[in-house]
Amino acid sequence: MSKPVLVIGGGPAGLAAAHALASVGRNVTLIEKEDRLGGAPILSGYAKLVPSGEWAKDAIGGMVGRVEGNGLVDVRLNTTVKAFDGTPGAFSAILSDESKIDAGAAVLCTGFTHFDPVNKPEWGFGTFQDVVTTTQVEQMISSGNGVRCPSDGRKPKRVAILLCVGSRDRQIGREWCSKVCCTVSSNLGMEIREELPDTHVYIYYMDIRTFGLYEDLYYWRSQEEFKIKYIKSRIAKVTSDGERLIVKGEDTLVKRPISIPFDLVVHAIGMDPNVDNLLLSSVFDVELEGHQFLKRASTYDSMAGTSRPGVFVAGAATGPETIDDSIAQGQAAAMAVLSILSQAAAE
Amino acid sequence: MPIHEKSLIRPENIISHENLEIDGIDVSGHWSTFIKPRVVTDYNEDTEEEIAALPGGEFIHRCWQCGSCTNSCTVNALDPEFNPRYWIYLARLGMEDELLRDKDRIWQCVSCNKCTYSCPRDVNPEGVMKAMSHWLELKGHTPTSPSMQFDEEFSGQVFETGRIEEGRIIRGFFKRTGQNLMQDWLVELVKRLIRGLPVKLLMTMGLANIFRPRTRGWGPAREAIEEYVAERKMADRKALGLDEPGIAEQESEQ
Ligand SMILES: Cc1cc2nc3c(=O)[nH]c(=O)nc-3n(C[C@H](O)[C@H](O)[C@H](O)COP(=O)(O)OP(=O)(O)OC[C@H]3O[C@@H](n4cnc5c(N)ncnc54)[C@H](O)[C@@H]3O)c2cc1C
Ligand code: SF4
Ligand code: SF4
Ligand code: SF4
Repeated sequence: MSKPVLVIGGGPAGLAAAHALASVGRNVTLIEKEDRLGGAPILSGYAKLVPSGEWAKDAIGGMVGRVEGNGLVDVRLNTTVKAFDGTPGAFSAILSDESKIDAGAAVLCTGFTHFDPVNKPEWGFGTFQDVVTTTQVEQMISSGNGVRCPSDGRKPKRVAILLCVGSRDRQIGREWCSKVCCTVSSNLGMEIREELPDTHVYIYYMDIRTFGLYEDLYYWRSQEEFKIKYIKSRIAKVTSDGERLIVKGEDTLVKRPISIPFDLVVHAIGMDPNVDNLLLSSVFDVELEGHQFLKRASTYDSMAGTSRPGVFVAGAATGPETIDDSIAQGQAAAMAVLSILSQAAAE
Repeated sequence: MPIHEKSLIRPENIISHENLEIDGIDVSGHWSTFIKPRVVTDYNEDTEEEIAALPGGEFIHRCWQCGSCTNSCTVNALDPEFNPRYWIYLARLGMEDELLRDKDRIWQCVSCNKCTYSCPRDVNPEGVMKAMSHWLELKGHTPTSPSMQFDEEFSGQVFETGRIEEGRIIRGFFKRTGQNLMQDWLVELVKRLIRGLPVKLLMTMGLANIFRPRTRGWGPAREAIEEYVAERKMADRKALGLDEPGIAEQESEQ
């Protein structure tokens, strides 16, 4: 029997890679450091996904079920890789539980880390209870508890969503656009308005990047059907008057300072490189790119490749990515693995 | 902050002191002129909904502030301060104080609809301008505009008789707007008409002025139209909370 393929990370990308390989009869060892599969959408409890509108627990949960129920996939939870050695077709790895496994190839699907907004203290996260993140609002919705102000459980009358928190910000060394947060925020805004029709939602933006087909489905629809208001501005500071939060900044369209009361302020947090990337880079001997994401080899001659032959990468490990694209990349990586393994077998 | 270019600032936002001493130093006159900061401190969520409730304003919430309307606007070409994009923004966010500063400009829209054709979001800015003027008028911020007076005179005649008669419209319009009928240009126009038009036509016009012919069987149509107009007016006033002081008071108490 051929050596298994090592897939590291059980998020959408890793699940797609594992399933694709298993469905053509390959053995897969799926290594996941948390106690559950599913990646960010499951671990962080996302609500309805962009663009399918399906609940994360159904959509990604379905992918998890398919992999867990597949006899060719050996799932190792609460596990990481400590050492990795060898050449394409003949790698060996030592896992955190000291077990040793052989592998024909490896696919890194280790994803991203959510930006922690305490690193932008001026926007009030960590200081005021009613300043929350998009992931927290996702959880309020997916748990069925509804959108409430954490301080006293009241229904917010007015919600501000601040975009680009931890993205596009040279001050804190995040020079990239996190790509999904504009669309995710307009989606969340619509979900808030659906649950609380009397609540007004304002989105403060620098640019709106609801790219591709998300333009009318999210940006337009959120304004036309859900009456969400978009305000071009950069927020300087979030404070409190003792009762409500006060969002201060400049409305750049009227060229006027603003100081507006809100009940709930939501940070649309960005996607940081996985905090494990330096470790992964040294264990697997793969290079990182300039922003500290895993570096992808030229797409034109090696789909899903890294700087090391036989080690592949897919999903948000390579930079901010959507779920759909992460899945596609996971499948592409599976294809790349198959072609390198058949070459190794022929030699 | 002391300022020098006063012409760029609205006069009401300039604060200056005849005599001012700071830390023992005399900074009177020129040096004591300041700009009052104009901070937006709240949004009025009702403004957009009120304007959207008036005919023409329905799609105001679609606007994404591209500026195509202002760029194509006939009046903007003559008056750079005439800016439909800006007013739509103020109305959407409920910055009423700002909107009211331009109350004597907003109604100057000539309904050419160039904005309507250039708007990528199908906001129907011309309709929004109309709704906004209407809103200003219903709220008592502006008197009934001359063009509205004309419209009322014109449509009033149609509703009544099913027809219009130009001479009567002009007389009615002049009366409503308090203008003298014996204006030189009008007298001259009438003189030339009398000189130039065939006698038969002049007779018909004269008789029409005296006898006010009606469209035959107009009565039921008139009733239906009047009923509709009254309903519409009621609905508009209700949307602005104007006919039900009870409800408006209750809400503001909460
Ligand atoms: C608030 C928010 C909402 C979002 N909503 C949407 C949406 O609606 N639609 C959409 O398309 N995208 C959405 N995204 C983006 C989405 O989260 C990513 O596209 C997706 O999670 C990427 O999948 P992935 O498998 O590459 O990485 P991840 O989901 O991050 O999965 C990585 C997995 O690898 C594991 N792992 C990490 N390091 C190691 C290690 N060293 N060893 C072993 N295992 C490890 C992790 O525990 C995790 O399970 C959202 C993002 C945010 C922040
Ligand atoms: S997707 Fe939008 S919110 Fe996210 S970083 Fe890019 S511009 Fe900012
Ligand atoms: S309809 Fe009014 S606002 Fe629109 S272009 Fe013409 S004058 Fe300007
Ligand atoms: S053209 Fe339309 S979308 Fe653009 S600013 Fe004017 S009303 Fe708004």
